[in-house]
Amino acid sequence: MLINHPLDCPICDQAGECELQNYVFREGRSQTRYTPRFSKRFDPVEDFGPDILYVANRCILCTRCVRFMDHVAEEAVISVSERGDRAFIGIHPERQLDHPWAGNVVDLCPVGSLISKDFLHKARAWEVDMTPSICTGCSQGCNVTIDTRSNAVVRLKPRVNMEVNRFFMCDQGRHSYRWMNKGDRIEVPLVKDNGGLVATDWEHALQRAAQAISGSGGRAVALVSAGASNEALFLTKQLFAGMELKSAFRVNKVDGEEPLPGVEGLALRAERAPNATGARCLGYSEEFDDALSAVDGAAVVFVLDEALDGVSMEHLGKAAQVIYVGTSLPECARGADVVLPVANAAEEDGSFTNRDSRVQRYAQAKTPPGMARPAWWVLGEIRAQLGDTEPFTGASQAFDALSESVSVFAGLSFDELGYEGRVAAQPSGAGVSP
Amino acid sequence: MAIEVTVVRRPERNVSYLRASLKGMALTFQHLFRKKVTMQYPEEISEDEWSISPRWRGTHRMLTDEQGRARCVACGLCPQICPANCIKLVPGEDEEGNRYPLIYEIDEFRCVFCGYCQEVCPEEAIHVGVHYENAEYQRERFVYDLERLCAQTHPVSSLWDPADPRGE
Repeated sequence: MLINHPLDCPICDQAGECELQNYVFREGRSQTRYTPRFSKRFDPVEDFGPDILYVANRCILCTRCVRFMDHVAEEAVISVSERGDRAFIGIHPERQLDHPWAGNVVDLCPVGSLISKDFLHKARAWEVDMTPSICTGCSQGCNVTIDTRSNAVVRLKPRVNMEVNRFFMCDQGRHSYRWMNKGDRIEVPLVKDNGGLVATDWEHALQRAAQAISGSGGRAVALVSAGASNEALFLTKQLFAGMELKSAFRVNKVDGEEPLPGVEGLALRAERAPNATGARCLGYSEEFDDALSAVDGAAVVFVLDEALDGVSMEHLGKAAQVIYVGTSLPECARGADVVLPVANAAEEDGSFTNRDSRVQRYAQAKTPPGMARPAWWVLGEIRAQLGDTEPFTGASQAFDALSESVSVFAGLSFDELGYEGRVAAQPSGAGVSP
Repeated sequence: MAIEVTVVRRPERNVSYLRASLKGMALTFQHLFRKKVTMQYPEEISEDEWSISPRWRGTHRMLTDEQGRARCVACGLCPQICPANCIKLVPGEDEEGNRYPLIYEIDEFRCVFCGYCQEVCPEEAIHVGVHYENAEYQRERFVYDLERLCAQTHPVSSLWDPADPRGE
């Protein structure tokens, strides 16, 4: 195995998480017995697909990638070519390694032979901080690890959960981390003053938000994102308890799913949001357009991190009060009365409910920009100002409040969920995996 | 009651300053004709009379290959080992697909000159230098970039005594 393996650990992307390197360190032979008289085999780097490079020199021919593509992805485009010490992993001459789940061969490769172009030279394995999280790409809720370096997400890797994604994640999810690093964020609470938005402190902004809600006699409209946590969705409902509320979310749906044939019940789902099931369980309707038309003449409109695509500023302005709680401020929400910056899914603790009603926790991987705070904190503070409840000191408290009052989540707590998740008590209307 | 004071009368030759002065001047004049030990630094730098140890750890130097490129492959070990966290490294890829440092900067103010970077380097690229003249007019100039590190010509440290490599 080592006779042809190059000693290029310093430039190899796998160094630090290489199984071969670990074995060599464990066996502890620091000197090679192969003298320079034998030259090592050299093959050029091959381009296998949209995100995968094959470095033939480093290959130890374990054939994990071949077996994954054959038995699990069931698209056998790679195989062992040639024989003996000339053997290498060859690809079908007219095909590419572009299966929607092909990225898993990079994780499976024990050495740095199959490497991700996206992650190439970006960070060393020992430099990244790993945080358990949930993929936000679709309603499957694959367990992932967020790797961050200097407060920026550099890659997502699958985290083992035998009940959900086993050892895998799809390429779509794997590459859907860039939005977590986006710089177009709201960094300070803003309130409307003399017609324009001005920056203020949290105390004042939260007061204004609470006043806007308590002082409004009439219909309230909540437009929420299916990417918000269970806690945030629950607390949004709580803010308008006892008021006439029209609440809805919308979720981007694409045609068709991208299943991984070898694993039952695992696919890139059509519903491209992590918490649509959670929103349904908490009583949000999917009639987003209905809720949007109810904005006209509403006493207060509450937006929770919804991008409001296709909504005009004039339309939103027909409501008496607009509270925008979100990560970035869309053009149409510039006329809002209160704008509260919140952390995104990589910057807060929380939980999502996947399509099989499995409630799964995710943890904070990086710090939110500026004064942004987790949504559970912001909504908990507003709730505390409205009623005489205590504000929350952690996401687990917010979740406890949720499990106490919503029967679907009854009996669950953060400790109970662990990092594997639990299936909620009552299966909701959402489909159970085939 | 008045204190009794005894005035001691000493011989003239014992109380005269003349003798002591002459003695001192004799010593001074003696030194005028001796060999000078002061080096007129920085006008004259005498290497053979005042050399620094080959194990001296001074400001860094990056060694280069035959084409004049830095030997560094941006493996990331020196920023990792650096106890002062003074090395900034951003890896990249050149036209031939080789890994190389896009940015390599050492903050010499932060550096504690421990020499770990030299010790850890698998390519023997970064070295601490046998060098002590580092004066600059601006603080910013103490952040050495890759170009500057490659342009240094001073000898590099051997870190350990060649005669006693195990330090025993």
